[in-house]
Amino acid sequence: MLSRRTILQSSLAGGIVVGLVGLAAFANFYPKPDRDEELTGWRRIAWPFPRDAFPAGRAWKRDDTEVFVRPKLGFCGNCETGVVEDSEVDRVTDIDLFDAQFTPMREGRRVQITDLAGRARIYHIKRDGRRRLAQGIAVSHKCDLVVAVVVGNVTDDAVAKAAHRFLETNTVQVWINALLEGR
Amino acid sequence: MKRHVWLSVGLSFLAMGAAAQQQKVGDPPEASNMKLIGWSDLQARSAYQPTIHKQGERWIAYIGHHGGTDDVPTPLNPMTGQAEPNGTSIVDVTDPAAPKYLRHIPGAPGKYEDGGAQMVRVCDGSVLPKGDKSAVYMLRSFGGQAHEIWDVADPSKPVLITRLDGLRDTHKSWWECDTGVAFLVGGAKDWRAKRMTQLYDLSDPAKPVKIRDFGLVGQEPGATGAVPTDLHGPISTGPQGNRVYFGYGTNKGGFVQIIDREKLLKGAPEPTPENLRSPEIGRLVMSAWNGAHTTFPMLQMPIAEFANDKEGKTRDIVMIVDEAILNECNEPRQMVWFADVSIENRPMMISSWTVPEASGNFCQRGGRFGAHSSNESMAPVFYKKMAFIAWFNAGVRALDVRDPYHPREVGYFIPGITDKTDKRCVKVDGKDRCKTAIQTNNVETDERGYVYIVDRANTGMHILELGGEARQVAGLK
Repeated sequence: MLSRRTILQSSLAGGIVVGLVGLAAFANFYPKPDRDEELTGWRRIAWPFPRDAFPAGRAWKRDDTEVFVRPKLGFCGNCETGVVEDSEVDRVTDIDLFDAQFTPMREGRRVQITDLAGRARIYHIKRDGRRRLAQGIAVSHKCDLVVAVVVGNVTDDAVAKAAHRFLETNTVQVWINALLEGR
Repeated sequence: MKRHVWLSVGLSFLAMGAAAQQQKVGDPPEASNMKLIGWSDLQARSAYQPTIHKQGERWIAYIGHHGGTDDVPTPLNPMTGQAEPNGTSIVDVTDPAAPKYLRHIPGAPGKYEDGGAQMVRVCDGSVLPKGDKSAVYMLRSFGGQAHEIWDVADPSKPVLITRLDGLRDTHKSWWECDTGVAFLVGGAKDWRAKRMTQLYDLSDPAKPVKIRDFGLVGQEPGATGAVPTDLHGPISTGPQGNRVYFGYGTNKGGFVQIIDREKLLKGAPEPTPENLRSPEIGRLVMSAWNGAHTTFPMLQMPIAEFANDKEGKTRDIVMIVDEAILNECNEPRQMVWFADVSIENRPMMISSWTVPEASGNFCQRGGRFGAHSSNESMAPVFYKKMAFIAWFNAGVRALDVRDPYHPREVGYFIPGITDKTDKRCVKVDGKDRCKTAIQTNNVETDERGYVYIVDRANTGMHILELGGEARQVAGLK
């Protein structure tokens, strides 16, 4: 039979451990903003999707705009030409994770994020019951893809450009390059 | 100090162990119950599908090639003295100990999967319903853009008969010789998949007739929303079996689709969601971590363990082979799966098999480690008894599949590398770190019981025969 004191001490210790684990998890999901995040106002948010074929990506939010990014290693359909067709953007970006019934708003266009080229397309999606706009972006490096989805008022050029500029910051690029170069 | 010495010695042994597993030119092959009989260098071209065909008293191997490499985009053909884009190798293997290279038909310019002519199937004109009885027809892909049919009755002098142009990303086709129906894999105009099926009547190879386009709902022109995984390849059981097993995916998001062949061929051809759904009988969804390169049906298999059961003594089995695509184990393991599809609308995975990685430190050897493809011959010599799986740097693996609930390995062969074997690289600290290892890509068998394996990294074709337990399982004398 455990004494009341032992039970109390054990409970206290357990509580401290749970608290520390929670704090660590919180810190992991919401790490301290780095220099670029401080300057641009983008704040890290949790990757909201369940595990699938690719490792989880990273996500950021600023005002009403969210950016979700992840590399998909070895997934480019054509290692020589890269992403050149809208159907490829439909297929490879994570737009279906937001809404499997997404509909393209118009034809896509060529896009370049740092030295990686590819294609971007704007879609209508439904998210949390709201009709939203989202831009799917797929750029490639040889056989590897980097995909991003920008959710927000992406028909406004300033909003889309700000998101693209953020994708080019060290915050995103250092992480992406480490993954691309580490394979 | 003493502790440091022992640590150093230990680490040295570990390093030597890993290094010992790396292949060097001149090292002998590694083998169990499989023996090398003959070899052709295939002009050091990266090889994909081999098909072995009996023509009169001769046995001819047709080998499809991927495009050239960055280092050698158009290898030299010593027979012509010309540098030629990789295409199709034709090799006389009547005497498997002395294969004779007959001809290289150049393929499409382009490197890796953008060029070459990787796929090949062969049908006799005497079997095709409307073929020239004296002809032997070879169907091959041509880069990503076309499929071609050649008359190879004289395999040293192939003659082009037909070209089906305007395609994209052609891949692993299937051709029923007794009906002429061909399931050509590629992309059709306006479809959202780069690889789906275009069905053709090739009963008269000189006059191809399109039957229909087929794919998954969501891949058809004009569809919106999520796009299902691309097709890899189908295998049909013909009019008797009336089933086609389609494998989707490569190393991710795979599934097997079971199709009523009759409904597929005779159904309304317009690619509406309803028409595309109509011939589907069942679908087996795989893990997001695995894809289906080959879906090999083994129907009506008697299962010894179930012999005394009132129902279910025999089972319809589909062997599913994933494709590893990343070097040095940078992905979830790609392997072999066995599905019981007896109840077609409730297919169920019943077993899996993989090469034990530690048995050869394969993740450290270089190149890909994992499954890619199986033999597809349904000749009685091996059918429903043994399956041969190409496993990249682990060579070919011979499985006893008589009890598909418990497949087991009874032999393997890992060829030695040559000075032509191409390197495979990964990035380490931003720089290429390259290793050279065998990359057994595809495998096929002939009716005599020989096993043909071909290498993706330019090491050629190895012709093998079985020994020991593997020979017993196959029932070979």
